[in-house]
Amino acid sequence: MKKIHILGIIIIAVAIGAILTTLNSTSTYASFSEAEQSPDNEFHVVGKLNRDKEMVYDPKLDANIFTFYMKDNAGMEKKVILHKNKPQDFERSEQIVLIGKVNGEVFEASDILMKCPSKYNDGKPQAAK
Amino acid sequence: MEYVGEHLVIGQIGNLFVILSFVFALLASISYFFAARDNQDSLSWKNIGRWSFRLHGLSVFGIVTTLFIMLFNHYFEYEYVWHHSNKAMPMRYILSCFWEGQEGSFLLWTFWHVVLGFILQVKAKEWEAPVMSVISLVQAFLASMLLGIFIFGNHRIGSNPFTVLLREHPDWANIPLFQNPDYVSKIDGNGLNPLLQNYWMTIHPPTLFLGFALTVVPFAYAIAGLWKRKYTEWLKPALPWTFVGVAILGIGILMGGAWAYEALSFGGFWAWDPVENASLVPWLTLVGAAHLMLINKNKGQSLFTAFALSILTFVLILYSTFLTRSGILGETSVHAFTDLGMSGQLLIYLLFFLVLGIILLIVNYKKMPSSSEEESIYSREFWMFVGAIILLVSSFQIMFYTSIPVWNKLFGLKMAPSKDIINFYNSWQLPFAFLVTMLVAIGQYFKFKNTDPKEFIKKITFSFIVAVVLTGLFAYILNYKNFLYILLMFSAIFAAVANFNYITHALGGKIRKAGASVAHIGFALILLGALISTSKKDVISQNTSGKDLANLGEKISNRDNILLTEGDTLPMGNYFVTFKGRRQEGINVHFDVDYFTKTNNTYTKEFTLSPLFQINPRMGNVPEPDTRHFMTFDIYTHVTYALIESPKASMEKSNDEYTAAKNVTMKTGDTVFSSNAIIILDSLSTNFDKTKYNIGNEDIAVMAHFRVLDIIKKYQANPIFVIHENSIQPIASKVDELGLQFMFWKINPEDGKIEISVQEKKSNIKDFIVMQAMIFPYINILWMGCIIMALGTFMAILERIRKTKN
Repeated sequence: MKKIHILGIIIIAVAIGAILTTLNSTSTYASFSEAEQSPDNEFHVVGKLNRDKEMVYDPKLDANIFTFYMKDNAGMEKKVILHKNKPQDFERSEQIVLIGKVNGEVFEASDILMKCPSKYNDGKPQAAK
Repeated sequence: MEYVGEHLVIGQIGNLFVILSFVFALLASISYFFAARDNQDSLSWKNIGRWSFRLHGLSVFGIVTTLFIMLFNHYFEYEYVWHHSNKAMPMRYILSCFWEGQEGSFLLWTFWHVVLGFILQVKAKEWEAPVMSVISLVQAFLASMLLGIFIFGNHRIGSNPFTVLLREHPDWANIPLFQNPDYVSKIDGNGLNPLLQNYWMTIHPPTLFLGFALTVVPFAYAIAGLWKRKYTEWLKPALPWTFVGVAILGIGILMGGAWAYEALSFGGFWAWDPVENASLVPWLTLVGAAHLMLINKNKGQSLFTAFALSILTFVLILYSTFLTRSGILGETSVHAFTDLGMSGQLLIYLLFFLVLGIILLIVNYKKMPSSSEEESIYSREFWMFVGAIILLVSSFQIMFYTSIPVWNKLFGLKMAPSKDIINFYNSWQLPFAFLVTMLVAIGQYFKFKNTDPKEFIKKITFSFIVAVVLTGLFAYILNYKNFLYILLMFSAIFAAVANFNYITHALGGKIRKAGASVAHIGFALILLGALISTSKKDVISQNTSGKDLANLGEKISNRDNILLTEGDTLPMGNYFVTFKGRRQEGINVHFDVDYFTKTNNTYTKEFTLSPLFQINPRMGNVPEPDTRHFMTFDIYTHVTYALIESPKASMEKSNDEYTAAKNVTMKTGDTVFSSNAIIILDSLSTNFDKTKYNIGNEDIAVMAHFRVLDIIKKYQANPIFVIHENSIQPIASKVDELGLQFMFWKINPEDGKIEISVQEKKSNIKDFIVMQAMIFPYINILWMGCIIMALGTFMAILERIRKTKN
């Protein structure tokens, strides 16, 4: 057997390893109800902020706790405790992706991604001031 | 309605250039194709090709100029100008506006191809026809991305930068602004994304796109080599171009890292974001291709791989473009472009060049010269080949994971990238980096063909020992425990030392020949700097306000933010910090934070950092970090949360009013906080002089004794809970010096807990920020490495060009 063949086998092994670990170290996009069913696993939940319910951020008490309510894409609403600062311009978010777990009645999020439509899309034309 | 004042002529001129650029690129490709096919020097086809490409190039310059004129003169009646600029924006960002949108960035890419094409027309000599045929074909595809015409009913080809706003959005005609026939004099643009209003954004995209564009040269040469069956001859002319690509693309990627570090707020220079990966992966394969081309220049031992990697690199550039422009990355990336409906078109181009490459490779596979004898493992070419393969596997791992959204779409899956994405990539890429740097260290000590093992060991031992000693020293100083980190640190130091040693000994200090070694030293330093600064990154903004209540602590809680109230001084890392206040400069609100050191109870001010918010009511407010650079470390800070309006602005008038009451349930010994004091409930008593408070003898009355402490003094507050004839009539207690008022509302006899309310005077409210601060140690090694690598690569290119001439 040539050295080149040994090398080839190693490469294929590593590539398969890369694929397998990739498949293992992904999270899943889910709804709140799916996340409720397996509270031990971490999920990505996509949804929208409920602007009518209260948002609590009191940095004087704890700069790393922010609570709000989010409705997921299936329409289910849950209270969310985000263990981070309140993202700036949070109210403007169009879509939210939460990363975390369900803990009883609340969703404990360790991270958040926001899509603010305004940054890449836009509003309607305006007159100059 | 008839509108007046629209500048329609310039758009028509621009459109004409768009069509001409497409037609001439196609014509150039076809003519060059025939010129290359007829092996005789068929001058007529070649001349048509030449002139067509020149006219194509001039048309592209025409498009660029037209678009600039429109941006410069604020012709907001055009969608692109309206979308990406406005009147308030400083003119120095006009370049950023130009390439903010997809059309502009395609234009930038096309522009560089034209520049390269013009050079190749002069320099490529006998390769001109086949190479330019390929490049012209690429150009025809790219030019079609700007066409914006409809075929087969409603399939739009390309997106045109000269679209008039109201033709693109006919429904907007109802907006009041457009009821005015002279709307042009009133309209303002949407404006430039505040993230791009940064000097890095004026130099990073053109550099990166030049890097992208340069990959077309080895691709075109490889295709030409396969087509003309000149399997080894293409390597020599393509080599300098490939290394220029390595240098420019590398610089472009690192500039992106510098921009992220300086202007974005994710806390670092590299986040394995899909957009970053999409540019890194072609660079890795290009480096692999360049090294394979080096070993095959003289002998054809791994020719097939050299061809494959050169072609793959360009296809990966197209794939990157597809990933970032098709909107497929969606939630997984912060800065992907939105979909302009061109993803199908991009996919067709990608597949076209991929299939073309594969077919040519298969057809020519058997005919390529190959040597049957095996390479010795003591030969340089063997290890260079191994290195290129490692780079390829490393790229594969990055690309496979980055493509998760593509797999989701193809197979209907719901995978989401891991939350700890940085660690996931690092755990894969660290071993690859270790292997590659080890090869970088030993590679040059092998000779081509064969090396005497004893001689090799003799030469490398010195560098090896020096590297072991240095690694031990650094690992001790930095307190490294992670074995993998120590290994990578060793290999990087080994690579730097061995290459330095190679320059001084093997090359006898001949600087002219040292390009490769210098570039390798730079590469090793980049990895070393990246390793130390990220693995030893220290978030110093832990919550030290003294208000960190342990009972709120959660396992997954992210405690990286510190609350700074105006005027207060808090310890942070080795410093004491004071938030001095906010300061508005134009659209930027700066938050000035002073840093002090303390020696023998005296505070010395060291420096001020002013992270800021760029206020942009239309697109969202954007934080920008501020970093203090030292020789051995950086302090990087950014504001994660602040009130956009200063809270003071609203309360000037009503200084004496109290804020809404804060209700607290507590028992004896408990502590609560106001914005300016610590409040401790010491005791409850019923035995006090009731007449003083006009409390009747039948009334039930309980007094609470609070200790109220601020930094300087101790105060008392004694609110009283009174039940008078079955109704609660509490008596308030005030601490006027601190602007606090206490009320005692309720007693729970069962557990002894009481309910009180605390109110503060509005004048107590201070401005505050929530901030993150982190230390990046030895990050300067990284930047130094970047400069050295670029320098070394250019030295190697100059030497190669010099050799080619001789």
